[in-house]
Amino acid sequence: MKIINTIAAWSIVVVCSTAVAQEIPSDWPQPIKESYTGRVLFDRVEYTRTDDEENVGVWDMVGWYGGDTYRLYFKSEGENKQDDGEPTDIERAELLVSKLIMPFWELQAGIGARGTLSSGTNMENYAVISFYGLAPYQFEMDNSLMINEDGDISFAVEAEYEIRVTQTSYLQPRLALSGSLSKSERFERPSGFNSVRLGLRYRVEFSRKFSPYVGMYWSRNLGNSADAARLNEESVSETGFVFGARFWF
Amino acid sequence: MNNKKTNERRRFIKKMTYSGSALAFTNSMSASWANPIGRTKATADAADLTTNYGDGVVSGNTIDLTVAQQSKRIAGGISNPITVNGLSPGPLIRLREGQSVNINVTNHLKDSTSIHWHGFILPFNMDGVPGIAFPGIEPNATFSYQFDVKQNGTYWYHSHSGLQEQLGHLGPIIIDPSDGDIGADREHVILLSDWTFEDPHTVFRHLKVAEGYYNYQQRTIKDTVAEIKKQGLMNALKERAMWAEMRMNPRDILDVTGSTYTYLMNGRDASTNWTALYKPNESVRLRLINGSAMTYFDFRIPGLEMMVVAADGQPIKPVTVDEIRIAVAETYDVIVKPKGATAYTLYAQSMDRSGYVRGTLSTELGAQVKIPALRAMPERGMAAMGMGSMSSMDGMAHSATMDMSTNKKIVPVENIAIEHNDNGHGVGASMIASNPTSRLDEPGIGLEDVEHRVLLYSDLVGANPWPDEREPSQTIELHLTGNMERYMWSFDGLKFSEVKGPVNFKYGERIRLILVNDSMMDHPIHLHGMWMELENGNYPAPRKHTISLKPSEKVSLLISADAPGNWAFHCHLLYHMEAGMFRIVSVS
Repeated sequence: MKIINTIAAWSIVVVCSTAVAQEIPSDWPQPIKESYTGRVLFDRVEYTRTDDEENVGVWDMVGWYGGDTYRLYFKSEGENKQDDGEPTDIERAELLVSKLIMPFWELQAGIGARGTLSSGTNMENYAVISFYGLAPYQFEMDNSLMINEDGDISFAVEAEYEIRVTQTSYLQPRLALSGSLSKSERFERPSGFNSVRLGLRYRVEFSRKFSPYVGMYWSRNLGNSADAARLNEESVSETGFVFGARFWF
Repeated sequence: MNNKKTNERRRFIKKMTYSGSALAFTNSMSASWANPIGRTKATADAADLTTNYGDGVVSGNTIDLTVAQQSKRIAGGISNPITVNGLSPGPLIRLREGQSVNINVTNHLKDSTSIHWHGFILPFNMDGVPGIAFPGIEPNATFSYQFDVKQNGTYWYHSHSGLQEQLGHLGPIIIDPSDGDIGADREHVILLSDWTFEDPHTVFRHLKVAEGYYNYQQRTIKDTVAEIKKQGLMNALKERAMWAEMRMNPRDILDVTGSTYTYLMNGRDASTNWTALYKPNESVRLRLINGSAMTYFDFRIPGLEMMVVAADGQPIKPVTVDEIRIAVAETYDVIVKPKGATAYTLYAQSMDRSGYVRGTLSTELGAQVKIPALRAMPERGMAAMGMGSMSSMDGMAHSATMDMSTNKKIVPVENIAIEHNDNGHGVGASMIASNPTSRLDEPGIGLEDVEHRVLLYSDLVGANPWPDEREPSQTIELHLTGNMERYMWSFDGLKFSEVKGPVNFKYGERIRLILVNDSMMDHPIHLHGMWMELENGNYPAPRKHTISLKPSEKVSLLISADAPGNWAFHCHLLYHMEAGMFRIVSVS
């Protein structure tokens, strides 16, 4: 039986052996196209009440557009102290190109600016590289190394973690750490670790795209920055309450 | 209560409508082919079908189909599905083995469209995949598909253009054997599908930019506390740490869930309660088709066992089970013998337990019986990580592989070692299965502990030997890979847009195709134009058009490369395919 089947199969092959490779005409559409998309995420848009009874508006956003491997990023973070007559303080405004270099990590490079938004002051311009992604144990991280026009090198680490309380509410610890490898006279940054900021937010999703939250934070100047603050008789640490919203589109 | 009264009245009106004119009622709805009476030997001839169903059933040597998008009542709301001849799901195409058919498809959409005849053996240029078989059907154009029907059984058709399938551009096909015997006194088609009121492109974007967007059954603090109570603090934390370390989610069962989907049976939602009628003492053939875009269904009829007689349209040696997991794009034919004049629930729940659809099998319209509760959300265990037999994992979640290893039949793929190179599959693969195993004798996630018979791939035995029994002369290995975080899906870590050239099958050769699932998801893998004989250790092997792989599973398939041309080969989860889990197979 097997032999007969084999012969039958081969006879089919012989009869049809005129088969040749079929070229797909180049003007036909691709069956599957590369997809390009993007997202603008305002991770934190919040109102802060500090222990010094100051009110501060804070934002932290990231937007990207691109494919799976290459993306263009815009990151911006800053704050505005209310009723102090001072202009808005930009902690960072960066434009970066990004490449996926490991399944969970992007390497990003670009340019940025920070400083107080007013015509009189000097914004600090810098080049930046970031290692951006999801670390083992599900920490979302943004690790940046910056070098400014004067050659001063500084770094910033941001990490967020999400603890799911219910299907639509989360407890989110957050850590931000900054420091300088070299001292910057012009921008009043001593070398070493500059500051650490810990936050904890409780967020409730109204929808996947809009979730208000409440929370608190604690921040502290570190090392030489703390000494400088003490010298100026400023407080070294600060705590505060926040309320705000995370939203994206 | 007022509510109760209204409900009673509604039920009464419903019943009256049904008994008043069952046919008129169903004809006003989508999928009018799903007549409660079904089809019996007495109504088997084509003329009878045409008078009973109008446009709902099309047959003959020339068939005209018109694709359009129109406002329709669907899933309890009004939306704009894609219709074929005014129906969504489209008409039932009824063919007969041995005939030639000429199907003229006219496109009244604004975009290019296509129809692919899923599971058909035909010339590659009639296969209906834009960019491979033909350029597609432009708006207001007509394409004539012409081919000989060389097989029989239960199949289906769907658009192969973009995400149109999600909009209801699909329908059932039955090919009667040349003698016309349906193998039972009556038959019904049960076409399962998933419907969303969101734009499919929005769904795809949500998956791309926000992992877990549709998953509302994730682990929470509450689950962690329960787990600690059950397993002890250290074990629970260790298990959680392992998933967290891998950045994987044990509850990632289906990407798109009941949070956006309404599940449909023959185009109707659960509340409509589509009814299949039978007469006492009849045997009933149910032709189950999973025409979903993304949903695996577990189908059962509480109180009634099912004799499975065909898989993917191809006859198998009858096997009696109580439940069947139907992967996306698979079809199964079962014969049931209802007792007396009982009413039964036809129950299909999604694999992730986020929803269900039901109908009723009954001797009278309007009957309904208790609807089973959804089962608890299952979680993936160690076997999913491809660590099924690693001894260091003992004491952790038990994998079925370990438990059943004693009476397991050795299948060829178990003797084939799977090698991964050092850097895995690149950025497109967030994991590799370090120790993939054969899992054909496992029922699949969430069914491990059910106390009745679940159909296993290892149960499938072909009804007859297939003509080509040569030993394979060419071996091809492909790995199913993905990066869930970015919703990248691929073979061997490369999306379709990243590969140069097709997978080459040498014409006339016998191919052994080894598939290894290096991801944490189940994937229904579909080869166009040729059968895949599943090497499950049975003779004859069952042959299928769609093979579902569990996480970290390896399978081997035998293929006779007897169909010259270019063919699509892809994951049949619609958004996985769109994300790049797609290859061209060239037979030359």
